[in-house]
Amino acid sequence: AGAKGGQRVVIEPHRHPGVFVARGKEDLLVTKNLTPGEAVYGEKRISIDTPAPISNDAATNGETTPTTTKTEYRVWNPFRSKLAAGILGGLEEIFMKPGSKVLYLGAASGTSVSHVADIVGPTGTVFAVEFSHRSGRDLINMATHRTNVIPIIEDARHPLKYRMLVSMVDCIFADVAQPDQARIVGLNAHQFLKVGGGVVVSVKANCIDSTAPAEQVFAREVVKLREERIKPKEQLTLEPFERDHAMVVGVYNRSS
Amino acid sequence: MSSVDYILHESSVGYAVFGIKLQSDTVGARLKEVQDAHNDLARFGKMVQLVSFAPFQGASQALENANDVSEGLMSDYLKTVLESNLPKSGKKEKKKVTLGVGDKNLASSIKSGFPGIECETGETSELVADLLRGTRMHAEKLLKNLQSGDVSRAQLGLGHAYSRAKVKFSVQKNDNHII
Repeated sequence: AGAKGGQRVVIEPHRHPGVFVARGKEDLLVTKNLTPGEAVYGEKRISIDTPAPISNDAATNGETTPTTTKTEYRVWNPFRSKLAAGILGGLEEIFMKPGSKVLYLGAASGTSVSHVADIVGPTGTVFAVEFSHRSGRDLINMATHRTNVIPIIEDARHPLKYRMLVSMVDCIFADVAQPDQARIVGLNAHQFLKVGGGVVVSVKANCIDSTAPAEQVFAREVVKLREERIKPKEQLTLEPFERDHAMVVGVYNRSS
Repeated sequence: MSSVDYILHESSVGYAVFGIKLQSDTVGARLKEVQDAHNDLARFGKMVQLVSFAPFQGASQALENANDVSEGLMSDYLKTVLESNLPKSGKKEKKKVTLGVGDKNLASSIKSGFPGIECETGETSELVADLLRGTRMHAEKLLKNLQSGDVSRAQLGLGHAYSRAKVKFSVQKNDNHII
C-alpha cells in the first residue's frame, strides 16, 4: 500500500547521495527501498513509475503496465530517527553513500539502520551493533531481509569482542546514549575506522550529564572526541525534532 | 625494543599469520607518511608477508572460533595454526618470537600455551595496532585464494550465527509487544 495520489509525487535526489526527497503535498525525506513491497516498522511507502517509452496516461492510478518499472521509496521520519533529523537540519557531510561501509553503534531495533541500509545499497554494508537482547531480536529479524546488514549483539564498549565480524569502515554512526560515548566511539574508530573516515555522533545532553546546560555538554563531548583523534567538523542541534540533542560530525585521523 | 616478528589476523574466513618484513620505528608511527603507507596496498604489501592462511572449515567451526576469540581463548584450531607456522624457539636461540595480537586476553592465552612466544597487542604497541589495521584493510587482497566478497559473505553468516546464539533466537518465538 503506497501513499495515495502517488502519481503526483516527484522524487528528487537529496544533496547526500542515496537520500531522496519526495515532493508532493508535503515534502518527505525518503530512501530507496532495498526490499520493495516490504515495510520494516510500518512506515509509509511511495511507489513511483519510472518513465517508460510510452506513458502519457492520465489515469495511471498505481497500476502496473508492462512498460513501466516501479521504484519504491520508504518515508524516513525525522521524529523517529536522529540521523534523518540531522539530514533535515542540514548536515554538511554524513559520510555514507551507496557502496559505503558503516559501523552503526546503538542499532536498537534497526529502524534507522534499515534506512542506512537503503542508502548504502546492495554494494555497501552496515555493521549494526546493539547490546540489548530484546531489541537485538528485532534487529536480527530485520537483517534477515536485508543482506547488507550484519547484526552484532555485543557491547560496543568492547570492540575487540566483535573484531572478527567487522571490516574497515568508511563511517561510524553512534547513537548509544551513554555517558562515556566519546570513548566508545574512539575505541571503535581506532579498531575499524579508515583514516579520513567520518564519525557521526548523536549526543543526548541528558545522558551525559543531566545537571549541566546542554551547550556545555556538547562542547565537552567535542573536546573528548578531539582527544580520540577525531577532528570535529560540524555540530548541529536536532531542534525541532529532538530536545537537547546535538549531532557532531568529525573526521578520523591517526597521524598527528 | 618493541619489534614485532609476526602478527595474527583473525577474520570471518579464518586465521592468518603474517610475517613482518619491514617495520617503521615507534617514533614515526604517527607521521603522515607512515600512516599513508599502511593505507596503500602496494606499500603495505611490502611490509608484511603472508606466512599462512588457515580458513575455517564451515560455519560451525567459524562460530566456535569467533566465540573463543571474543572471550580471549585460544581454540585448538588456533593452537595448531600457530604451532605449525611460528618458528620453534630453540634452546640455543634466546630470542623469543614476538607475535602481534589484537587483544590482551587472547595474548595471555597464547603466552601460557606457548612459552616461546612473546605477545604485543594493539594497546601496548601502536605499531601492532597499525599493522592489524592494515591487514584488516587489505585482508581480501592479502589472503590467497580469496575472491572479493568472500569476507563479507562470511561476515554475514557469522554475524547472524553469533548474534542469534547470543539472544537465544528462535524463529517460532516472536516478541509480543505490550501496549
